[in-house]
Amino acid sequence: MFLREIINWISFQLHILKNILIFLAPAIPMTIKLTLVAFALALILGLLIGLARLSQRGLIKALSKIYVDVLRGIPLLVQIFFIYFGLGKILNLDRFLAGVIAIAVCYSAYLAEIIRAGIQAIHKGQYQAALSLGMTPYQTMRYVILPQSLRIIVPPVANEFIASLKDSSLVSIIGLRELTRAGREYYSQYFVDFQTWLVVGIIYLVMTLSLSRLVAHLEKKYKVHGYGIPH
Amino acid sequence: MIIQTKEISKRFGEIIALDAVNFEIEAGEVVVIIGPSGSGKSTLLRCLNGLEKTDSGEIVIDGIKLDKDKSSIHKVREELGMVFQEFNLFPHLSVLGNLCLAQEAVRKRSKPDSEKISLELLKKVGLLDKKNSFPNQLSGGQQQRVAIARALAMNPRIMLFDEPTSALDPEMIGEVLEVMKNLAKEGMTMLVVTHEIGFAREVAKRIIFMDQGKIIEEGKTEDILNSPQNPRTIAFLSKVLK
Ligand SMILES: Nc1ncnc2c1ncn2[C@@H]1O[C@H](COP(=O)(O)OP(=O)(O)OP(=O)(O)O)[C@@H](O)[C@H]1O
Ligand SMILES: [Mg+2]
Repeated sequence: MFLREIINWISFQLHILKNILIFLAPAIPMTIKLTLVAFALALILGLLIGLARLSQRGLIKALSKIYVDVLRGIPLLVQIFFIYFGLGKILNLDRFLAGVIAIAVCYSAYLAEIIRAGIQAIHKGQYQAALSLGMTPYQTMRYVILPQSLRIIVPPVANEFIASLKDSSLVSIIGLRELTRAGREYYSQYFVDFQTWLVVGIIYLVMTLSLSRLVAHLEKKYKVHGYGIPH
Repeated sequence: MIIQTKEISKRFGEIIALDAVNFEIEAGEVVVIIGPSGSGKSTLLRCLNGLEKTDSGEIVIDGIKLDKDKSSIHKVREELGMVFQEFNLFPHLSVLGNLCLAQEAVRKRSKPDSEKISLELLKKVGLLDKKNSFPNQLSGGQQQRVAIARALAMNPRIMLFDEPTSALDPEMIGEVLEVMKNLAKEGMTMLVVTHEIGFAREVAKRIIFMDQGKIIEEGKTEDILNSPQNPRTIAFLSKVLK
């Protein structure tokens, strides 16, 4: 009798969880798309800003420093509001674009610092060797420095990627229907909070854990011979 | 004259690294530079291939005047190969990759061409069997021989060596010097910063002694080694030759 009630309860809970999952599922691609597009943009911007930070030219160096300081110093949520409600009105940005720009710009500041540090970690003898062979500064960066920097850059960049996936939930605040927004919609329709946020959390967790696996793979791929703990 | 410098000077803040240095080198000559630590030997070599910009003075290499514009620096670097104390091999590339990279990027050679040239050079420095190894899998002496081969792959007319054996264990110095001696025999113009006096005695035509950014004394190898004139040269040589 008692056992039967437990089984009933469990199957009821599973039913709710399944309903939630079915409701949320269509919003998952938006979270993925938002994160991928924003982060790809952030990487390109971050590389440019990171290189600008290392520029010999005073103005470029100073401007890129201001860029990093300003964007790192303002909460992402505020940046989202500013871009959607402030710039968005003028430039006619839709929710998705506003979200992409806010995340891309904000994360590009962090990535720029990571990339700059990764480049600076390479011994100056590597530049001297490459330049003395007649390579241009661009070729030196492209074929000698950056490939070695990747070893240093990949793990923290991966961290930022995972963080940006989680931070994409902030864009729900301007009404973009991604995973977190869908969770709020479900809650306001059916008023089950515990289960709703449990499922939302698990979905994020599954996504971030898969990313961690991917990262481990990348770290192996960009490993440079002769570095790391011997085994 | 394949290398000619006129009154070149270079400061780092308060430090005068080069102080109105003049010298000339003829094609095919092997010249050794000696001098105490901090005397400006490395700075001099780096100025010659534009890795460091001089504050004043003139450098002419194989008829090309080195000045601010990038194309002259580039042309000069094509004439000059440089070998460093710390080898500076590219750790992310195999030995073959180290030799091929600049050939393809700078000389625009095809992959098969640059590989063929690389393999010949590796044979010459006795490291053909290491072509697929990575730098960290080689001994210091082997790394330095790869670095020499890498510089030679660009067909330089002049080779600059900055203390090529100073970072090596004693038992590996010989193998690197051997490669350098062979190069000298083939008629390569070489400017070598080294404290290997035996090497100087055997292959150098002239020795330049530097101290505090200046050339204090220069002359025929046997003259400098057997009867140095300047007291500073005498003091330095007595330490090195002891
Ligand atoms: N990039 C730099 N910035 C500041 N000072 C420098 C720099 N490079 C060299 N110097 C200084 O210039 C002087 C000459 O240095 P250099 O490396 O040319 O000497 P060196 O003769 O090669 O010495 P060593 O035998 O120790 O290699 C030294 O006092 C050194 O501290
Ligand atoms: Mg030196």
